[in-house]
Amino acid sequence: MRQVIRALGWATNILWISIILFSITSLYSVTNLDIGIDLEKAQFFPSSEGVVFSLPFHIDNNGYYDISELNITTSVTDCNETLITLSETFVPSIPRGSSVETAHNVSINLKDITSIEFTPLLFSDSFFDLGTFITLNFAHAIPFQMSTNATIPWRAPFYGFSIVKVSTLPYNSTHCEVVTSLSFENHAVLDITGTMQLEIYNNINEQVTSGKTSLDVPSRRKYEGEVIMYLDLVDISRLTESGNVRVNFMTPMFILEWWSPYG
Amino acid sequence: MVEEGNTRAIIKKIVPRVFKAALWGFITYLLVYYPLTLIYPFELLPFAYNQLFNVFVTIVVFFAVATKLFSGTILEYAFSIAKTLVIITYFFYVLNGGVISLTVPVSGTTVNLVLDLRTFLSMLIFVNLLALAKSILQATDFLARKVEASQLSVR
Repeated sequence: MRQVIRALGWATNILWISIILFSITSLYSVTNLDIGIDLEKAQFFPSSEGVVFSLPFHIDNNGYYDISELNITTSVTDCNETLITLSETFVPSIPRGSSVETAHNVSINLKDITSIEFTPLLFSDSFFDLGTFITLNFAHAIPFQMSTNATIPWRAPFYGFSIVKVSTLPYNSTHCEVVTSLSFENHAVLDITGTMQLEIYNNINEQVTSGKTSLDVPSRRKYEGEVIMYLDLVDISRLTESGNVRVNFMTPMFILEWWSPYG
Repeated sequence: MVEEGNTRAIIKKIVPRVFKAALWGFITYLLVYYPLTLIYPFELLPFAYNQLFNVFVTIVVFFAVATKLFSGTILEYAFSIAKTLVIITYFFYVLNGGVISLTVPVSGTTVNLVLDLRTFLSMLIFVNLLALAKSILQATDFLARKVEASQLSVR
């Protein structure tokens, strides 16, 4: 029995020493682990499909143990908690002594964002909720989770869009000019480049005339312009003092359509 | 006269034990408290966890004194068994069953942390179970020897 007791004593001591060493080295490794999410450097930039929100982060593994299965999931929801995008970044392994410096990119597809559900986002600034969920496995033994929420501003590309005035001017003996003045501010980080087509409908919802213009509004600039359309003098009585304008904004990537009142 | 002699004998037997136990308790305190303060992340953890650190030191010192005070008796092993059980319970409580959740404010935002220490807790429980087995075997061995000695003296 004494030999068994002695063996158990040795086993216990060896295991205690191992646990204490693991604890000390783990704590040392964690305190030397530099994980940073730089929210101040977070930015939007244009991409081929829309905009990309870039969230830079770095992990310097200065400890004694590997980090594995790093998974970063980001969800963006609007102020009504409707999911806009869900992005994921996976880093299989960060061996000890190495570092990872990258950005977690959240793509916002403008085709999605210009759907009816998100149309108000085109005309008014808002805020998005950015939820970040990080999981990793420390020393192949200790799973770790970190989650945080941040608010990021959304800047509308057609902020305050309005038809300022619809007026008529004589053109020739058969036609007159219908001048439609419109204005908006491009608050977005990307330039607005495309063709805008306007269709004027009178107060009994009959199409009166239509016309188009090309737009090139740089980021953070105000646009004030006129679209000139032509109307047969016979039909001039159909143009009422108030009505609606159907606006089609077309780019190679997407088409936006909305209605705006005039008069 | 006989009673006085008995009392003196008891005092002679107890006082060195008490001193030995107190000294052992002090040494244990020094060996446990100071090295742990060097590695224990006081600044990273909430106040409640720092209090639990003092509870751990108290448990270890208390059982060190108790086992030394009753060394050579069955109570020494009883306290050893109690110590392992108390420490298992302590670790289970402190590590919240192996999953620790913390909410830390970091530069204006709230960061929720979840640490899964179930593997680590299993290791701690396993070691303490080994220590428990050892203490039970020691107690059995102690009793067996005592019975053996009493039987020999009867013969």
